[in-house]
Amino acid sequence: MLQRLLLSLLLFGPLAIFAQSRTVTGRIYSAKDNTPLPGATVVVKGTTNGTVSDPNGNFTLQVNDPAATTLVIRFVGLESQEVPVSTTPLNISLKSAGKDIDEVVVVAYGTAKKNSYTGSVATIKSDELVNRQVSNVTKALQGLAAGVQSSASSGQPGSEATIRIRGVGSINASADPLYVVDGVPYGGSLSAINPYDIESISVLKDAASSALYGSRGANGVIIITTKKGKKGGNNIDVRVSQGYSNRAVKDYEKVSTDQYFQMYWEALRNAGLTNGLSPTTAAAQASSNLVRRVGINPYGTAFPQPVGTDGKLVSGAKPLWDDSWNDAMQRTGHRTEADLNISGATDKSRYYIAGGYLDDQGIYLGSGFKRYNVRSNVELDAKKWLKVGLNLSGAHSDQQAPPSEDSRSDNYVNYGRLMSNFYPIYQRDKATGQYILDANGNKIFDFGSYRPSADNPNSNLVATSAIDKHNVIRDDVSARVYGEATIWRGLKFKSSYNADYTNRQSHDYTNPTLGFDAEVGGTVEKATYRTFSWTFNNLLTYEETFNEKHHLSLLAGQEAYKYQTTFMDGQKSGFSLPGLDELSDASLIKDLQGYTDTYTLSSYLGRAEYDYEGKYFLSGSLRRDGSSRFAPNRRWGTFWSVGASWKLTEEKALKNVSWLDLLTLRASYGGQGNDNLGPDSYYNYYPLLEVNSNLGEGGTYRRFLYNPLLKWETNLNFNAGVDFALFNNRFSGTLEFFQRSSKDLLYSKPLAPSLGFGSIAQNIGALKNTGAELTLHGIPVKTKDFSWAIDLNMTRYRNKVTELPQKTIISGTKRLEVGKSIYEFYLRQWAGVDPNTGLPQWYVDKADGSKGITNNYSSASLYGSGSSLPDVYGGITNTFNYKGFSFSFLVAYSLGGKVLDQDYLFLLGTGTSPGRPFATEMLNHWTPDNKNTDVPKLTTINTNWTSVSSRFLYDASYARLKSVNLSYNLPALWMEKAHLHNVMIYLQGENLFTLYKHKGLDPEQSIGGTTYYRYPAIKSLSAGINLSF
Amino acid sequence: MNKKLLLIIFAALAFSACKKDFLDTKPTNAVPDDQVFSTADNVETVLNGTWSYMFEEFFSYAVPGYKSINLTSDAMGSDVAVISSYGFSAAYGYTEMNDNTKNRVSAYWTILYKVIDNCNNIIARVDNATGDDSKKQRLKGQAYALRANCYLTLASFYQFNKTGAEKAVPIYTTPSGPTSVGKPKATIGEVYKLVIDDLQKALPLLKDYQRSGTQKWKIDASVVNGLLARAYLYNRQWPEAITSAIAARNGYPLMSGDEYNKGFSDISNGEWIWGHAQTPNQSNASYNFHFLDVSTPASYYQSFMADPYFKNFFDSADVRFRLFDWDTLPDQEGFLRYKKFRFRDPGALIGDLVLMRSAEMYLIEAEAYAQNGNTGKAAAALNVLRDARSATHYTGNGSHLVDTILVERRKELWGEGFSLSDIIRTGGTVVRKPFLSYNGQDSIIRVPRGDGSFVEVAGQGHQTLKQPDGTAFTPYSNFYLFAIPITEVQNNPNLNN
Repeated sequence: MLQRLLLSLLLFGPLAIFAQSRTVTGRIYSAKDNTPLPGATVVVKGTTNGTVSDPNGNFTLQVNDPAATTLVIRFVGLESQEVPVSTTPLNISLKSAGKDIDEVVVVAYGTAKKNSYTGSVATIKSDELVNRQVSNVTKALQGLAAGVQSSASSGQPGSEATIRIRGVGSINASADPLYVVDGVPYGGSLSAINPYDIESISVLKDAASSALYGSRGANGVIIITTKKGKKGGNNIDVRVSQGYSNRAVKDYEKVSTDQYFQMYWEALRNAGLTNGLSPTTAAAQASSNLVRRVGINPYGTAFPQPVGTDGKLVSGAKPLWDDSWNDAMQRTGHRTEADLNISGATDKSRYYIAGGYLDDQGIYLGSGFKRYNVRSNVELDAKKWLKVGLNLSGAHSDQQAPPSEDSRSDNYVNYGRLMSNFYPIYQRDKATGQYILDANGNKIFDFGSYRPSADNPNSNLVATSAIDKHNVIRDDVSARVYGEATIWRGLKFKSSYNADYTNRQSHDYTNPTLGFDAEVGGTVEKATYRTFSWTFNNLLTYEETFNEKHHLSLLAGQEAYKYQTTFMDGQKSGFSLPGLDELSDASLIKDLQGYTDTYTLSSYLGRAEYDYEGKYFLSGSLRRDGSSRFAPNRRWGTFWSVGASWKLTEEKALKNVSWLDLLTLRASYGGQGNDNLGPDSYYNYYPLLEVNSNLGEGGTYRRFLYNPLLKWETNLNFNAGVDFALFNNRFSGTLEFFQRSSKDLLYSKPLAPSLGFGSIAQNIGALKNTGAELTLHGIPVKTKDFSWAIDLNMTRYRNKVTELPQKTIISGTKRLEVGKSIYEFYLRQWAGVDPNTGLPQWYVDKADGSKGITNNYSSASLYGSGSSLPDVYGGITNTFNYKGFSFSFLVAYSLGGKVLDQDYLFLLGTGTSPGRPFATEMLNHWTPDNKNTDVPKLTTINTNWTSVSSRFLYDASYARLKSVNLSYNLPALWMEKAHLHNVMIYLQGENLFTLYKHKGLDPEQSIGGTTYYRYPAIKSLSAGINLSF
Repeated sequence: MNKKLLLIIFAALAFSACKKDFLDTKPTNAVPDDQVFSTADNVETVLNGTWSYMFEEFFSYAVPGYKSINLTSDAMGSDVAVISSYGFSAAYGYTEMNDNTKNRVSAYWTILYKVIDNCNNIIARVDNATGDDSKKQRLKGQAYALRANCYLTLASFYQFNKTGAEKAVPIYTTPSGPTSVGKPKATIGEVYKLVIDDLQKALPLLKDYQRSGTQKWKIDASVVNGLLARAYLYNRQWPEAITSAIAARNGYPLMSGDEYNKGFSDISNGEWIWGHAQTPNQSNASYNFHFLDVSTPASYYQSFMADPYFKNFFDSADVRFRLFDWDTLPDQEGFLRYKKFRFRDPGALIGDLVLMRSAEMYLIEAEAYAQNGNTGKAAAALNVLRDARSATHYTGNGSHLVDTILVERRKELWGEGFSLSDIIRTGGTVVRKPFLSYNGQDSIIRVPRGDGSFVEVAGQGHQTLKQPDGTAFTPYSNFYLFAIPITEVQNNPNLNN
């Protein structure tokens, strides 16, 4: 007591009144489900003296008036209750007022009641997450919340999905949301978080909810809150599951060997004709050169020229083998997951201790993800007035991530796709096609030195995937330490120190004897990427109810953030002996580098929230941030928000309308910022020369152009919405309208490269995301034993550039133009195949303004070609419960938008890359007998047909059965005998079915509608059991 | 307990809020420019770093730095029959460098202009640096020369020089800043004038500079004279070309026949005036050998085969003739290998890159004399080179002497990057004929093997025989010129002003 006074004195100067006072403590529960109620008000009757319960339902109240006898406890939507003042701890449970059931949601620097909150928040609960078989929590967000656009472009186990909240608010600056774990921005790896440890995920979508994160909240905030111990003794939960996975959708179809050889003959012949050879010579040369160009004769030595001068296979020629590399590069993945947690609470402490194990084997050889997790969340009421907590988590993961999303020839996904079936996987006798066996009678891998360079000569990934390494080891440690002191009544001080440490070490090794790097004696690369970030914040909060009507909550604080990354990379080649794979074992240093980057942020923040009788709610926030990414005179930015809501169902006129349980109107507006120009962009304001030494002497050069005028990108965010619940909460929903206007966009503006620089970071232009979101929840059927619930969400938004410093800015396959989306494709327009020549054609604007046709690709004009952004996206979940059975499935969908399939182009060559497979679509190529086609003639001369054009723009719409879950809770009667609380067995499916148009390409690609030889999505099925006791 | 808490709170508040420089962070792999340009020693790092960027920056594996411009030039000539493997086959087929959307087009433009900007910085700022005056002079001279080399490369590939008035490429002579905008194309004559002016400025600044014999990547007066010889020759200033060529080759005697057969990958070769060395840990530029080197097994692409007709230019006593070898390996059977370029160290996959050597200077001298009508001196210069290669003397009467010298350039400088630039500057024509028998059948070659036996293979020659639109090669064909990349066209509003 004395200490506490001392603390108050020190911080706030002498207080005038000391009086004999009583301390009332207690805990408030909801009577319905016996869960603690945070945010309930406790007031001494007839006074303004009161407090509010904390997130665990606890409250402490000083009663200074010796005459006070009664406390009034209130919670929105529940019946208020009066209890006598007592010095023994009180346990108070509040009954439902029969109207809406309110939900407490986690928001910036605190919690809020959803039905009256001024901001826009979507929440995803733990039970929705555990239904998913994902190794990375970001992949579980798809389809579950309105406004959240998720694209899991890679199926590599452990990889992340891209998340966009309410459109795309930045062009070059990162448009990723800010991730917050247990109240503090998270600097660790998202793959280190075990989805099973998550209590809830809040998605903050508007200014009122996220502006308090200031400079980093512009693209929305995702708050992950991990589990805490709940009331009631010890709980032990165990979950184990096993499953299998495969490719979700089939790869592109390719032509057969017979078709290939005849087609390649035609390509050679046609090129000969173009080169001026006579038809006879061209045909004879094609027959003669065919095998030489392709590198192998799968028809055997009996047919030295398998395709005759008529372009047909000679009679009797049959391929002696047909080896599918694509199949050989894949396998059925196996997945094992096990989790154990112990949680509970005593009067003065709450704890949650968990461990997890995951082994998610990939569907491509040599890929997979293993993770080991521990977490301990402990909170203690150290003193009556002091609460301390420590959340500590550690994860170790071992990812096998062979190259994918990479144009390298040893991209494991592309390798099998681009290898023709007539190249044998194992060595074959050239005459008979029989396997050649070694002395022990084993097949011998064929490394194909004879293959043309388009077909990976001197390599065999089927063989070397088992020997080579592409490992990523991650160690993550996260700590959240906090202390909260009640200084005086509703005035609290909270200080927390939060640190995230990650160490990512990649180890790439290619062996010295076989495959790509055998000639240089094998290679090894080890790179360490260490990041350490900390956030230190100090917050004062004050909460008070006046006259039982006016409720006020204030927050003020200060925060500092520092993020440091240290990179070190070494590469060597030339192993002394096979079987060794570390840097020390190789002889020749190829590369060695390392550097450290530091990013800091200093902030001051404040928020005020007020409500009147639980009907009218107002909120306002202000934050000032200084970022190290900008010049000293440009680095401070101010971010703010205002919000209001009106709970109409608290008004007398509606209070007694029996069918209407909830009706709330709300609106907010505010400005947030973005300083994230992207990874490695920390010092763009500063004129720097990059270190680049030369042959043992120090070197530097100007690589990037600096811009001292750089400043924050600002996002002005308007939100208006209505929440409703009808018919005893059987039908409820939220409809929201939003407009996010980003200005001073941080943009890497392309420059004329003759200036010496391809781009400069600038604040240019403005863009707007306007849209609407709808979330509906309905329970169409509800009987004693059976219920059916539907959850539906959909989002539609328009992304529009509203201002640019110049008419248009072209960047890659996109063009920025006022009035169009930032992902508006800007491409040459396909004008079909010239029926007379078989050559590809594109449209061109002629000097007189009319539209012409050309077969010169580079002279063709570029045109706006539609956007990659979908018209509408969302998800539908159906849940059926019958007695102990539960069946649910989630369909995620994305309708509209385009994807530019550049993966496919590799299979569409007209013959410029000998040996590379043709997609079956190429069978429809132009010939004098097939003039009306949109596939040009075959030729080994480059016609630019596979250069990017609208020809390869496809509809990106899809619907995917994201998850299916069937579970059964064993009857309670059996449980008691076994001393178990609950036993659940379940079956889960992921990505089991996909509806999409353009076959071969997995429909989940980047938000910008581009492809990059990615690891495709996997479908999986697993079964598990969940025990609690 | 609470006192401690208080202490922590206050200490932390003080620490995090009061540290003034908390927001001033600095990189660890880059240096502020005022620091770099403060002393002559530091300015020298810019020259080194720029050079390293120029040669070692990968744009793709098919564009391993500046030196790959030279490979492109040969792939687009008459004597290299590029096989259809990764790398240069699109350039070889004339479907790459005339297409402003291609990566290679934008890469070369980027390399050249980035080097120019860095040179402009040195030229503009070295005078204000502290340090030894002679060092500052030398650095400035080297920067002028390196800039001139870039503009000379631009002049060689981006425009014909028929009248000097053709619009070519933009010229920048001052450093770019955050508010700079693109410049219009200058005429080809203006570009040559700048090149020659820069080199003339560099000469006196470098007159006292002695580089170490092992550091032939450093520009000295010999290199400047060599560049001047090229510039004068390309700009048809014959007497000046002769003087400069003779000055450049001074001190760099022609190599022996044995040395010619050693793989063109060792900077210690006495004939090399200018080159770029490679070490195991600085070896990106060596990647060029994966295309040029057609005989080292570790070489990846081995795509620079010789046109079989090229062989006919040589007599069999010529040391250069020994490098021909018909390939009988099953995967590249029938191709004619010209084993001029070989990795210096096949284990580390490294090889030094040649940029200028005396032979070229003799050829410049010969050509300039011939063009100027001095047949005797032209033949003499030519025969010095032929002597060194054990080839028969030129004994003609002077008719077609220029053509003979141009063919000699193809023979001597094969694979060193002069094929296309010679065609462009002389108004020449690409010549590619099918390698077939008289009746259109395969041309069968009997290849002697080491054991005395013979193997019969169908000889493989040029695969691209016409321009991609099916028309024949002609002088001054637009297919020969390098395009200005589309990013320049789109982002430089002044380009065509």
